[in-house]
Amino acid sequence: MEIIEKIKTNKSIDNETEIQKICLNKLQSSPLPNPKSEQWRLSNKSKFSNFLDYSINEKDPKFDTPFPNTSQGTIRLVIGNNCQINLIGENYSIQQLSQDELDKYIKEQISCFDQDENWSNLLNLSLSNTKNILGLKINGSKIPSIEIFSHSSSNALSAKTLVIFLEKNCDVELLQVNLGKENSSLSQSTYFCLDENSCVNHGVVSYGENRSNLLNSLNVIQQKNSEYNLGSVHFKFNYARFEISIKQSEGNAKTNIKGMQITKKDEQISTYTKIEFNGPNGFLDQINKSLADDESHAIFEGTIIVPKIAQKTNASQLSRNLLLSNHAQIDTKPQLEIIADDVKCKHGATISQLNEDELFYMRSRGITLPEASKLQLSSYFQEIISFIPVSKDRWDLLDKLLNEK
Amino acid sequence: MVNENLVKDVVKEPYKYGFVTDIETEKIEKGLNEDIIRLISQKKEEPKFLLDFRLKAFRKWQKMKEPDWAALGYKKIDYQDIIYYSAPKQKEKISSLDEVDPKLLETFDKLGIPLTEQKKLTNVAVDAVFDSVSIATTFREELAEHGVIFCSISEAVKNHADLIEKYLGTVVPASDNYFAALNSAVFSDGSFVYIPKGVTCPMDLSSYFRINSGDSGQFERTLIIAEESSSVSYLEGCTAPMFDTNTLHAAVVELIALDDASIKYSTVQNWYAGDDEGIGGIFNFVTKRGKCLGKRSKISWSQVETGSAITWKYPSCLLLGEESVGEFYSVALTNNLQQADTGTKMIHIGPKTKSTIVSKGISAGNSKNSYRGLVKMGTKATGSRNYSQCDSMLIGDQASANTFPYIKSQQPNSEIEHEASTCRISEDQLFYLQSRGIEFEEAVSMMVSGFCRDVFNQLPMEFAAEADKLLALKLEGSVG
Repeated sequence: MEIIEKIKTNKSIDNETEIQKICLNKLQSSPLPNPKSEQWRLSNKSKFSNFLDYSINEKDPKFDTPFPNTSQGTIRLVIGNNCQINLIGENYSIQQLSQDELDKYIKEQISCFDQDENWSNLLNLSLSNTKNILGLKINGSKIPSIEIFSHSSSNALSAKTLVIFLEKNCDVELLQVNLGKENSSLSQSTYFCLDENSCVNHGVVSYGENRSNLLNSLNVIQQKNSEYNLGSVHFKFNYARFEISIKQSEGNAKTNIKGMQITKKDEQISTYTKIEFNGPNGFLDQINKSLADDESHAIFEGTIIVPKIAQKTNASQLSRNLLLSNHAQIDTKPQLEIIADDVKCKHGATISQLNEDELFYMRSRGITLPEASKLQLSSYFQEIISFIPVSKDRWDLLDKLLNEK
Repeated sequence: MVNENLVKDVVKEPYKYGFVTDIETEKIEKGLNEDIIRLISQKKEEPKFLLDFRLKAFRKWQKMKEPDWAALGYKKIDYQDIIYYSAPKQKEKISSLDEVDPKLLETFDKLGIPLTEQKKLTNVAVDAVFDSVSIATTFREELAEHGVIFCSISEAVKNHADLIEKYLGTVVPASDNYFAALNSAVFSDGSFVYIPKGVTCPMDLSSYFRINSGDSGQFERTLIIAEESSSVSYLEGCTAPMFDTNTLHAAVVELIALDDASIKYSTVQNWYAGDDEGIGGIFNFVTKRGKCLGKRSKISWSQVETGSAITWKYPSCLLLGEESVGEFYSVALTNNLQQADTGTKMIHIGPKTKSTIVSKGISAGNSKNSYRGLVKMGTKATGSRNYSQCDSMLIGDQASANTFPYIKSQQPNSEIEHEASTCRISEDQLFYLQSRGIEFEEAVSMMVSGFCRDVFNQLPMEFAAEADKLLALKLEGSVG
């Protein structure tokens, strides 16, 4: 764990910024998360240490996207491509946050970080230099859809940070793509601030190549009457963690989450979500799907916290899991912590394999077993994929998932 | 609009089993060390294997740490400030009920557990445990005719040492957890049940646990063995007097079911819960586990938890035998400053095993009620199924309800379903009932009873009535 040794001896980064200093200081006393804590208990230790085995990458090679070219009316940004962003359209503006704004916001966030819960964020901020932090302020309506890329480079650890402020009454579609190169680690932290009456359809597509690792953390703060919709899919990583923390700071907001993780071979992908309602009339609808094949391990842990102030909260959480092999493993733990009495909260979890009756029916109609399985899987995937803001004719995600070897 | 205070008043009910029996008792000195354990063992005239078992457990316990993962907050327990053995003084060995101190009989009578003639009508055999010892077991001759052994565990140690040696600690090993280790070291009494092959126990068996002394803990141990094709229904009840201090209760229950055997274990737990300010009350740390060893064996836990300041209890099933079945039905009611962290573990090891979990939590006042459960499908548990349902009801805006289900599957050819919901007493339903002329408190009581119906249906007749009454009592009160 090269990187940890460097953090301990404070040799990880040259010319560190103030934020990096603060985070490194926090990490130095206990550089690793507590393996016994609930959030890290199931994490595969050797895979996790593999994540930390690479040294930090200072220079990004040229980015060649395997992703289809932009269509008209789409804005594409790559974190780390050092260019000044200032887009002003008829009804909208997308501007880069000033260094002061960015520093102030990040410092505020760090002050309430917990060592175990926000370890990924701390590591990310300790490692990502000014170049790799992108801050955007989005305002207006009829905004073209935005695509933001972050990628790792082979044999290195890359850290990228994205901060987005959505101003009042703003409505936007944003697709975030995280790409893991062969033998690499990517630490991605994203911060979203949704101001009143704003709405975002956020898509997160993360996929890796051979033996790539990902630590993806998403932090969202919603003001009242805002709406946050997240569709996410993670696949093809040797080791990946997706940590979602959503705070409805005054309640009265809407959150929809549809996430999916697909593990094959000996991969381990986990999703941890924590949703806090700090005001009344909050709404949450969450579904998380996992598919585990071969010798892989899929994990989901979701917490819903409803304090006394959050009366009339309506929250539901569903974890659906498909276990397709005798050697694969699925762990799921949906949790409710409720103090308010006038609430509707429910959760559900299922683990099963493909429906045999349906397979039998299709086979009796002349469809072969592989085709029938594929049909079932596509309906299983479709619910999530249709929630990710990317049109099928541009990028057929379903096809990619079904035909991924 | 429901008047919140009204609902709160309704759930207040003074504890009616809080009296102390003034009886001369024999206590040993406070504290815990190897000498104390030797003394307990000596007092009970135990064979050497049991003393060794106790000492081994004690040494393990010394190295263990008190668990802190449960969603409970309580002041640290001083294990050296507890009396580990307390027994009502009796001059000679009792051979019949007539020789039992009338004060003791009176106590159990007052608790609604008559040990004398009357009880015969209800066809339930009772083992009554007072502090650290069993004082009487009824219907023994009748049971013996069928080959059923039902006695206190101390007697079983003397008369059936082979069975004890063979099975004790096989389901809950001494090193299982902190409280199980403590119990293994100092357990004083409890019940022992052995149902021979092919016998359906002719009557329900029942144990009644009473803590009387304020400074002694109760550490009972229950062992039930159901041989091939046998079946038994076992009931357990608990009460304690009101004291300002907290009393520790750490019990271990082990069930073993062989081929085609079935065990139904029901508990109505009504230990003293402490007063409105949370002073006093029993700390209830219990390890209950059943092992479905045989094919098609079945273990069913049903519990109604209404008492205790702290409840830490996870009756579990190890499903080893092919097609074995585990069930867990629970109602947990917490009020004032009570805290309960309860649930179950269903470990599916054998193929085609099935389990059902139904848990209902009701939290009122400032209480905290958590469901914590584990469902695990091992690699060999092909064709296994689990269904879990945990519902919580909140009364008042100070109470909290948590659900922590852990679900783990390593077997694709198995199915797990879990669902949970949280709600409160529906105003519409209350309004409807009241508009039909039903009193407010009766309406609340009806709704709570309806909420718990799935679980009450699983309780044996006598207990279902008692449980319903108990909840109604807790919910009845000063309205109007």
